[in-house]
Amino acid sequence: MLSIVKKHVPEAAIEETAQEAFVRAYQSLPTFKGTGDFSQWLSSIAVRTGYDYWRKAYRSREIPISALTDKHSQWLEEVISQRPEEALDEREHQMEAREILNWALGKLSAGDRIVLEQVYLEGLSVQETAELLGWSKANVKVRSFRARMKLDKLLRRVKDQGRRGR
Amino acid sequence: MRFRVSENESVKKAFQDAYSTKERGETGEEWQSQVMRRVRQIGPLSPAASFWPAFESMVWRLAPVSCALVLVLTFFFMNLELDVDSDYLGTVAAEMEKPSLVELFDLEG
Repeated sequence: MLSIVKKHVPEAAIEETAQEAFVRAYQSLPTFKGTGDFSQWLSSIAVRTGYDYWRKAYRSREIPISALTDKHSQWLEEVISQRPEEALDEREHQMEAREILNWALGKLSAGDRIVLEQVYLEGLSVQETAELLGWSKANVKVRSFRARMKLDKLLRRVKDQGRRGR
Repeated sequence: MRFRVSENESVKKAFQDAYSTKERGETGEEWQSQVMRRVRQIGPLSPAASFWPAFESMVWRLAPVSCALVLVLTFFFMNLELDVDSDYLGTVAAEMEKPSLVELFDLEG
């Protein structure tokens, strides 16, 4: 549960959000029917608590959006020209990927963000995501598609920024 | 078809790796005790509200009122004097007094 929360919220908010998720799980215990998978049920609460964190953050506009530099666009171009098996695995490259990802996710709405995290980054199926979030499959499909399009547009911007800088 | 950056396998893998190794902050004992403190503050949980338990509790709550009502109505009807000479009963009684055809023509063996 803690590891799920860690993935979904910024470091500064992990403790508070994880605490909230645990309390929610405790309060929701009477509603657990005992027929399904308990860990799945807990994961669902953790993901939804993360989603609520972002909804609140977007409402109060507390999202730190870091500025990207030419270094990031260079990195993106390098990765695009690579083959998947020779992907960069050093820490500094991961850092750049994380910075671009955080920047792009920060530009999306809370709903787009959570669905993109589940489907694109975690690699979950539409069905699994729908169960975790309590959404319909159609909603997950549509949102996932739109979120991917928005991510693509943002990444293209990063890439073009590097070309203009040169 | 337009090339999609996010669909590039290398980009996707780089993002997935970055995401899976994201935020490795550890939570200490202080955090655990804070969670437990909050759980203790909430106290014991009440069972989930569903239709039948709610219905049962409502029935039991209405039971004394229903019993009192039954007693009052029983007392009321017991003290009510039934008028035997009402029209209907009078007609029936008169009919019973009339001799039947069998008796009139003495048809009986």
